[in-house]
This record gives sequence, structure tokens and C-alpha cells, in this order.
Amino acid sequence: MSDKFHTELNRLKQDTTEMAQFARDMLRESLDALFNQDTEKALQVYSRKKHIRDVTIALEDRTYQLIALYQPMAKDMRLIACTLKMITAAERIGRYGKDIADMVKDLRDQPDFPQRLPIPHMADLVLGMIDDVIVAYKTENLDPIKNFTSRDDTVDALWLSILREMLTFMMENPQTITRSAYYIMVARYLERSGDHACKMAENIHYMITGEWIEIE
Amino acid sequence: MTSEPIISTNDLNLWYHDTHALQSISMTISKNQVTALIGPSGCGKSTLLRCFNRLNDLIDCVKIRGEILLDNENIHAAGTDVVMLRKKVGMVFQKPNPFPKSVYENVAYGPRVHGIKNKGELDSIVEQSLRDAALWDEVRDRLHDSALGLSGGQQQRLCIARTLAVEPKVILMDEPCSALDPIATAKIEKLIDALKQDYTVIIVTHNMQQAARVSNYTGFMYLGKLIEFGQTNQIFENPREDLTENYITGRFG
Repeated sequence: MSDKFHTELNRLKQDTTEMAQFARDMLRESLDALFNQDTEKALQVYSRKKHIRDVTIALEDRTYQLIALYQPMAKDMRLIACTLKMITAAERIGRYGKDIADMVKDLRDQPDFPQRLPIPHMADLVLGMIDDVIVAYKTENLDPIKNFTSRDDTVDALWLSILREMLTFMMENPQTITRSAYYIMVARYLERSGDHACKMAENIHYMITGEWIEIE
Repeated sequence: MTSEPIISTNDLNLWYHDTHALQSISMTISKNQVTALIGPSGCGKSTLLRCFNRLNDLIDCVKIRGEILLDNENIHAAGTDVVMLRKKVGMVFQKPNPFPKSVYENVAYGPRVHGIKNKGELDSIVEQSLRDAALWDEVRDRLHDSALGLSGGQQQRLCIARTLAVEPKVILMDEPCSALDPIATAKIEKLIDALKQDYTVIIVTHNMQQAARVSNYTGFMYLGKLIEFGQTNQIFENPREDLTENYITGRFG
């Protein structure tokens, strides 16, 4: 009985890891499509929205079944609790990818900025946090998530900086309003994805140690 | 959650012949709390429970070393009245064991042995005990019928009423629900929760979910040792010992 439970629990964890990776790829590829004005790739990312929704429901359903059938305790319970949070956060991240992908076609005819913007850098930082969260969850290791407070501070600072920069562009040149407004949303989605990564890191810390920490 | 202690054991050891069944157990049971003892079969949890009212005295080959204090008095001290001890520390067993008498007589038996003869007083004790055991409404019209005609769950609550009738301080329960169906079990669990207002309950159970549901403190025992003792939510959420973790997550036992 318990062997069956642990086999199913391990499989759930593996599938959740894959789902998080899938969501992370949606975000990464949507940003690539945005930066390269690749509408075909954007469409392709957008089309994954049904899959991520279906996988989310299926994984949540399996999690609730394990709770109902086996009443897990201690680290099994903590793994299940963390898994539920991982599923929710990963779905959000995947959906941000879908939303960003949806912007690409609207920006096709909008003038681009002559300057380099910090959004690609911000994207790398946030995706790095998501990658580390997935590794920490998969390997049950705290090392990849230990500096999350300062990493999230950097992301937050970039978000404010991009917001200010975009407002300036809009005031200087109304022709940039559409692109600026969209980029504000992209930066905001990245900032939120960073927060989701922090939330996942808190839950992984609880899963591994049984203790709660706060990443601010 | 802090509470004053009612029972404490200090380096308690027990042997059955050469078998060292309890090894250096030191623990404190809090007053008006429910404490659960869990662990695999043969770990010593029932033996420990039976130490608290000296039921092991009835077994010839048992040798006990160490101290058990009830309200700061050593229950093994010379001059301890074992009958009075068992009045203070009542016990409910795995299988309901009502006397082959009426419902009323089952409950009145204890107070009568302890000298209460007045019918009015006995009537009142019987009613109050049955009410406290959440059985009164089901048996008020059949007080003089045989207790053996009650269902298993009712018989077990009658045994609890019988224990309550002599006004114990502590109630020991040894797998009180293992012979009962889920509905009768739920009634006993609800009752245990209510009983802690007035009594201290120590329960031995194989059912970890039950321990998690009913108790405030949990002790995990393994091979005669108390491996871990703590607040129930801590034991089931984040146990400190690997053995406890492995047992409650079903990796052994």
C-alpha cells in the first residue's frame, strides 16, 4: 500500500517538474518571440495554453486523490503541499508566457526603440530564478534558492526602472505609447514571475526542512 | 500550548523476564490534554500505558525500575493504595468489556464498590456519567436492560461511562476504537475531545490518523524506547527523528 503511494508520489513530483519546465519554456520562448518579432513562434507558444490548463487540472486532481486515499504525513505531506503550490505558480508563469506571446502580433507594426532596454536582462534573471526553483524542487536541495531575497530585489529594481523609462518614452514621443505600454506589462509579468519563483522557493524550503522562511 | 503536568516518568524501565520492554522512558503528561502513544506492534506503548495504573503488577514476571509520579507522588511508593490509584487512573480497553449486567449496574458498580449506597446519589452519578460519555440519550429508556444488548460502539461508551463514574483524573485508553466501525469511532473521538475539559486522556492507537485527530501531544515508541515526544502537529508535520518520519510516512511498521 505505502509502496504504491510512494511510487505515485514520485511520479507526481516528476510530472510536476516537467510541467514547471513546460511553463518556463512558454515564458522563455514568448520573450524570444517578442524580442525577435517572431510572430510564428508567438503563435506557437500561444497555442500551448490549452495544454498547460489540462495538465494543471490533471496534476491537481492526482494530488487531491493522493490526499484523499492516503492521508499523507510529515515529509510526504509537505511534498504534496509544495507540489500544489508549484502547480499553481507554474501555471501562472505559463500563462504570462501566453499573454506575452499574444502581444507580439500587436507590436509588429509599432516603431521600436532605438535604445537597448533592460527587459532581456530582467528576463534572464527571472528565468534563472525559475530554473533554480525547478532544480531545488527536483533535487530537494536548498543551495540553488539560497540567494533569492537579493535576486528578487534586483528584479524589483529593474521593474521600477523599466516603468520609469517607459513613462519617459511615452511623454517624449506619443508614437511609442503602444509599445511602451506593452513593455510595462511584460516587465510587470516578469516581476510577478519572480515573485512566484520566490513563493515556490519558500514552499520548497518548507518541503525540505519543515520550517517556513519569508523571502521579501 | 503549555499545561501543568499530571504524570511524569523518570528513567522508567520494565522487563518481562529478560526482555527489556521499556527502556529508560522519561516523559511528562500534561493535565487536561490528550496524549497519544503510537508505534509499531510490540514497541511497548500498551505496556507503558499499563504502567500508569500499575496493571503490570498483575503479571508475575514483570520487573520495573524508575519512577512514575502522579500529581508529584510516586505510584510505586510503599503504602500506595493500588485500588485508589486505579480509581484515579481509569482504563478503557480495546474490546468493549461491559459486565453481564444492566446498563445501570455497569455504571453504578464502581461508585458502589467505593462506598456509595444511596440510591438517589447513585442515580445521579449514573445519569451524569452516561451523559458525559454521550450515551444517555441512547440508553435512558433501557437502563435496566442488559448491557450486552448494546451495539459495540455503545458498549465502548458504556465502558467509558463506567470509568467516569468513579471520578478519575486520568483515563487510559488502549486502542479504544479498533473494534468499532467508523461511525462509532467518530463518536468516541468526539467524546475524547469533550473529555479533556475535565480529564487527562492517554490513548494508545495503531491508527495514526486517529492520533493526529484527537491528541494534543504524541509520543512515538519503537523497540521499547520513546523515540520522540512532542506536540501532535509538530510530530505529524515535521518530526525531528528519522525513525518517526519513516514510521508515520508508512516506510516501515
